[in-house]
Amino acid sequence: MPKITVDRLVVGMCLAEPITNEHGLVLINEGIELTEALIEKIKNLRIESVKIKGDSKPEETKEEMILALEERFKYAISYPHMDTIKKIIKEHIERLYE
Amino acid sequence: MNELDIRTIRSSIEKINTLPTIPNVLKKLLKMLENPATSLNDIGHFISHDPIITTKVLRMINSPIYGFPGRIYSVNQAVILLGLNVVKGLLLSVSVYDLMKKVMMGLWEHSLACAITSRLMAKKKGLKEPEESSIAGLLHDIGKVALILQFQGYYETAMSTADKKNIPIMDAEKELFNINHATAGEWMAEKWSFPRNLIEIIGYHHKPHISRNFPVETSIVHLADILVRGRGFGFAGDRTVPPVNETAWALLNLSNNDIKEILKELEESMGMANELFIE
Ligand SMILES: [Fe+2]
Ligand SMILES: [Fe+2]
Repeated sequence: MPKITVDRLVVGMCLAEPITNEHGLVLINEGIELTEALIEKIKNLRIESVKIKGDSKPEETKEEMILALEERFKYAISYPHMDTIKKIIKEHIERLYE
Repeated sequence: MNELDIRTIRSSIEKINTLPTIPNVLKKLLKMLENPATSLNDIGHFISHDPIITTKVLRMINSPIYGFPGRIYSVNQAVILLGLNVVKGLLLSVSVYDLMKKVMMGLWEHSLACAITSRLMAKKKGLKEPEESSIAGLLHDIGKVALILQFQGYYETAMSTADKKNIPIMDAEKELFNINHATAGEWMAEKWSFPRNLIEIIGYHHKPHISRNFPVETSIVHLADILVRGRGFGFAGDRTVPPVNETAWALLNLSNNDIKEILKELEESMGMANELFIE
């Protein structure tokens, strides 16, 4: 789910997370489609960014991403800790496609 | 005289501020930074008197690079909130942005991702001013800009060597120039009167174990660079992730889960930052 700054909100976007006040009370619920008035309201709340629904999956396929990852780590993989780092990043990339 | 003699390289890099490609605003800014008497007020004026700079600074402050909760609406507010070092760094970043985009495709995105990652890591380590780490992340590879501005042909040779031999760009730089971009960056940062911490981080971000005064901050940028390359954000001159420095790794002592969380937040922020900065 892409997180975008408030000034980039456009009518028709859908909230992926509820907007709450500082006490955690929901002001605008998730799934709500943004109207002109709602966007104005969000701007007045002085929050920095909101999560909106939409496809944020990378353009490449998972297989391409993993292949490129293997390629990048080829040189340094035998050095200490590089295997750990690669493993964490690999899991991270795989989660992007879930 | 040999064009790649180390003294010649150094003096070319120290002359960069006189190049016609350097925008006038940056030249003016460098003049101000040179003067130790320059106050926060002077810098505030400098920003407010230029509407383009004002817009750029506010846009940068409110981006995930800095990650302040809530929005900052005015230059005055920013200057009061951020203090001299951060405002200086902010202005430098804003001015170097165009230069970075001009010289190497993907270097800006690499730097942006390093800025975000460095800040997240600094927060995890409980550093008092994570924004300083943002700036260091953003400017750490400025030596590449320096080398390309003065030695474009040679730098392209270094890039193809790195590509052909599948070695890190800094090793290829070293083969050709006898120094790497970290040293070039340190020279430039010194000449440009960058804050002390920034000079040291730039100079040692590939050998953080030598950093004397800012070992944690330097290690943060070092590891951020590796994570960002590992994840594949941007392009910094090669396709190879360099090995992590063992001292830095031990010093930071991050758990696998810490790194996982940093990557997750980086991912979300990059979506947002890309919209702002990458046309
Ligand atoms: Fe570097
Ligand atoms: Fe880098």
